[in-house]
Amino acid sequence: MSGCIEEDEFSNSPVGNFEALWDIVDRKYCFFEQAEQNFGLDWQQIYNEYRPRALACENNSQLFDVLGDMLDELRDGHVNLSSIYGTSYYWDWKSNYPANFSDSLQRNYLGSNFKLTNGIKYNIIKDSIAYSYIGSFESGFGSDNLSVMLMNLAHCKGLILDIRNNGGGMVTAAEGLASHFIAETTTAGYIQHKTGSGHNAFSSPKELLLEPAKGAIWLKPVVILTNRGVYSAANYFIMLMKGLPHVLVIGDTTGGGSGLPLNSTLPNGWTVRFSACPMLDKKGNHTEFGIAPDLKIDITSNDWNSGRDTMIEAACTLIYSLYDKKSL
Amino acid sequence: MNVKYGIAILFLSLLFQATMKAQTTNSSEINPYRVVTRCSSHGITLLNNLDTYLSGYNHTGIGYNFNHENFRRAHTGKYQWRYQTLFSTIAGYTKQHSNNQFTLLAKYTWGGYHPFEINQRLQLLAGAQIQAAAGALYIPTNGNNPVSAKMRLALAASGMAIYHLPINGHDYVMRYQLDIPIAGVMFSPEFGQSYYEIFGLGHTGNIWHFAHPFNSPSWKHTLSIDLPIGNKRHNVTVRLSYTADIYQSKINGLRTHIYSHAFTFGFVKTIYKVKQGDNIKAYSPY
Repeated sequence: MSGCIEEDEFSNSPVGNFEALWDIVDRKYCFFEQAEQNFGLDWQQIYNEYRPRALACENNSQLFDVLGDMLDELRDGHVNLSSIYGTSYYWDWKSNYPANFSDSLQRNYLGSNFKLTNGIKYNIIKDSIAYSYIGSFESGFGSDNLSVMLMNLAHCKGLILDIRNNGGGMVTAAEGLASHFIAETTTAGYIQHKTGSGHNAFSSPKELLLEPAKGAIWLKPVVILTNRGVYSAANYFIMLMKGLPHVLVIGDTTGGGSGLPLNSTLPNGWTVRFSACPMLDKKGNHTEFGIAPDLKIDITSNDWNSGRDTMIEAACTLIYSLYDKKSL
Repeated sequence: MNVKYGIAILFLSLLFQATMKAQTTNSSEINPYRVVTRCSSHGITLLNNLDTYLSGYNHTGIGYNFNHENFRRAHTGKYQWRYQTLFSTIAGYTKQHSNNQFTLLAKYTWGGYHPFEINQRLQLLAGAQIQAAAGALYIPTNGNNPVSAKMRLALAASGMAIYHLPINGHDYVMRYQLDIPIAGVMFSPEFGQSYYEIFGLGHTGNIWHFAHPFNSPSWKHTLSIDLPIGNKRHNVTVRLSYTADIYQSKINGLRTHIYSHAFTFGFVKTIYKVKQGDNIKAYSPY
């Protein structure tokens, strides 16, 4: 005996899996409007273009490549297809831009006697400049870790927070870090979600409120370094921090990835991840395609060759200047 | 189609109760003491799960099913009543190709029934239940949406048919029970809403919904037989049962079904709560 609530299932065939994937994205993906505005995406046209290619597939490996190519049309690093044949990724959001980061250059500043706490490297560089590198939000670092780090650096003139090449992780880790840089509850942005299958069926934006951490709070000058490798939860971190009165963001535009991704499956068991819940900045703007810095700086080839990190040098200059002025 | 059947059964049971009331209140023997029947049963269940918040495809597999039932007879004035409390859990493992899904559900029901003795062997009971259910479906590889929580509080119509079959001096008892939730509240996220937004940010706007047979057509029916084993002085009673528990919902564009077909085995214990001076004789627990 069974019931009456079922889902319309697509067949487990090349065309069935193609249609299932196209349909999941069609109903649940959240950035169609932005993709249309930015590069003229027409999702129905994508269906017409890729269906014959899916029909022509002779095996699952070919089908995986075709479906991966179709997802790449969204130009979204949060959209992936996973199967035994691998995971499809769209990398152009990062690979088409200058690297603007080198751990060899970073070593010239961080030295070898840096401290390490839950993946965060930090040290004091030059004349009383605090430098902290956070390369990922994948592993959660506790508020206690951050408090101890900030207390150890408290006598410095300012903090360089380097999150270049931070590809994201947990949004709660990004929020936890940002909460150490505010003194009072702050509207950090907005979040939406889809309320139905229409491309524009969204909830009204709800406030993202950021509460100050219970531990150490850093209100001295902060300069955050970014490059195109700053993505997803790291992009969210910049969204939370940019605009705070004692914070400057310098470097390159971030990679974006402002949609909280969700997962679903195809008839053949392959899994698809897709952006589902847009996060908006304090002004209600989408940041899916990146957040521009307050000051655009690239690492120059001269500096690169002479072992200098142009961004760190600029950040130090800014902190000295800000410290001398005592305000931004 | 099933919704219509549910409503028809509810109306029939109410009609039946109204027409039988005069007969039963006068003809029933008032039991001088309370009889409580307890049964803990264990078994396996066949599962078929769909939850479009997690995946658009059915996951099938098996699970462990535990039930603990208390069934007692009591009287209030001239009226006889039967009360049932039932706690049941399902812990299951299902798959869709290589995608694993885990199920954990618990349900507590409290029901009150009025008995109608059709003849010496057949008894019908009509009543209502309060049902509280909670649990979750969990797909570990699902990134930011690994869990779909299930919570429902409902008022259900419930009925039973109990048939006594005496064989060689033993009382074999067969029972069929049907429960149909009629109205209640249930939890569902919005179509594309993340649990991070609900529980992390506290955006709990549109997550509780009025549940009724049109958006949550669910039912449960159980067929059981109590088998006395041994002689009349020293016997144990074994219960074999089959339960089909159909949990469904269609809210906020999200479709869910959890079909459980459980086969369980347990021992029945009957407790006679006797007052001083009661004349003890073999009353059926039902």
